[in-house]
Amino acid sequence: MVRAGAVGTHLPASGWDIFGDLRKMNKRQLYYQVLNFAMIVSSALMIWKGLIVLTGSESPIVVVLSGSMEPAFHRGDLLFLTNFREDPIRAGEIVVFKVEGRDIPIVHRVIKVHEKGNGDIKFLTKGDNNEVDDRGLYKEGQNWLEKKDVVGRARGFLPYVGMVTIIMNDYPKFKYALLAVMGAYVLLKRES
Amino acid sequence: MAAASAQGGRSGGGGGSSGAGGGPNCGTGSGRSGLLDKWKIDDKPVKIDKWDGSAVKNSLDDSAKKVLLEKYKYVENFGLIDGRLTICTISCFFAIVALIWDYMHPFPESKPVLALCVISYFVMMGILTIYTSYKEKSIFLVAHRKDPTGMDPDDIWQLSSSLKRFDDKYTLKLTFISGRTKQQREAEFTKSIAKFFDHSGTLVMDAYEPEISRLHDSLATERKIK
Repeated sequence: MVRAGAVGTHLPASGWDIFGDLRKMNKRQLYYQVLNFAMIVSSALMIWKGLIVLTGSESPIVVVLSGSMEPAFHRGDLLFLTNFREDPIRAGEIVVFKVEGRDIPIVHRVIKVHEKGNGDIKFLTKGDNNEVDDRGLYKEGQNWLEKKDVVGRARGFLPYVGMVTIIMNDYPKFKYALLAVMGAYVLLKRES
Repeated sequence: MAAASAQGGRSGGGGGSSGAGGGPNCGTGSGRSGLLDKWKIDDKPVKIDKWDGSAVKNSLDDSAKKVLLEKYKYVENFGLIDGRLTICTISCFFAIVALIWDYMHPFPESKPVLALCVISYFVMMGILTIYTSYKEKSIFLVAHRKDPTGMDPDDIWQLSSSLKRFDDKYTLKLTFISGRTKQQREAEFTKSIAKFFDHSGTLVMDAYEPEISRLHDSLATERKIK
């Protein structure tokens, strides 16, 4: 009895069958392939959430997008943030904050702080490389920032590494193509 | 993980060489040709990229499995594999819980739940590593031989193998655990993979199957002497 070869996806010229590994698998192995992929995604997710819990910041790693903090930080630098409630905000420190209504965090230096007796503060920021303070960036009518706007304080940085993120955001198709290829590789190739 | 194994490896599917495989081997006329035909009906002769270490190991493992399951009619036991699948599924479950909870109650209200899920996830990862290293080792088949009289517990056969990266020496170890006496006996062989594959990357069962049978019989006969 001759059985026709199983229907598959062949690249006609090279005879390369990308589903070859999958077709030889039983149910359990197929489930494991999916699980493998899910575990890689879960590991990345758990590391990120773990960092969020550890640092207390909702975005513990950010990329500097503009040159407004030169020569301290350049576009493409990676910053590590923490956001512990006990840390006081003092003039001269670099903070990452979000303006209400915008979701891009800004990395600038605190230049003025007003503090009440109970610990409430309001502060003003300015980029080192900017001519004027950030009042133009704040919400309409807002002249000061408060603790709730702070995403975190810069604790360490890696130069240039963030350029990858900037490139992937500027060319989203590249990002999706890369993710698709990596995902396909994990799903289709059998792990030994 | 998968990304670490052979670079640029591609497994040519068995379906690609359907016509060619059937011809030369059909006419051997030996007593075992019936068995070979049966293998060929289910799967075409396995053809893989001979330079891809993981594909070579996988095909050798799969064929050894087939010999034990089809020739000796043992029944595969999925307990070990199911254990690994359960651990992985539970880990992913923690991750999904963390994801959904954080979405419904944004940080920082979700902090305790997040912390719990993250810690549980990494604990499960640790359990998984211990499980695969110590319990599963490199065992890829656990098969039971049902006792024909139905009185004694099953005998257990385990297959494990190893093939080092960029090496050509393949080691296959067969372990026999008697159901009655709970004694364990092992036999193994280490051979170059070049002995089993031809130049185009097709696994030659004629060369491989006798090795497996020899391992099996060496363990089975000792039992009879007892």
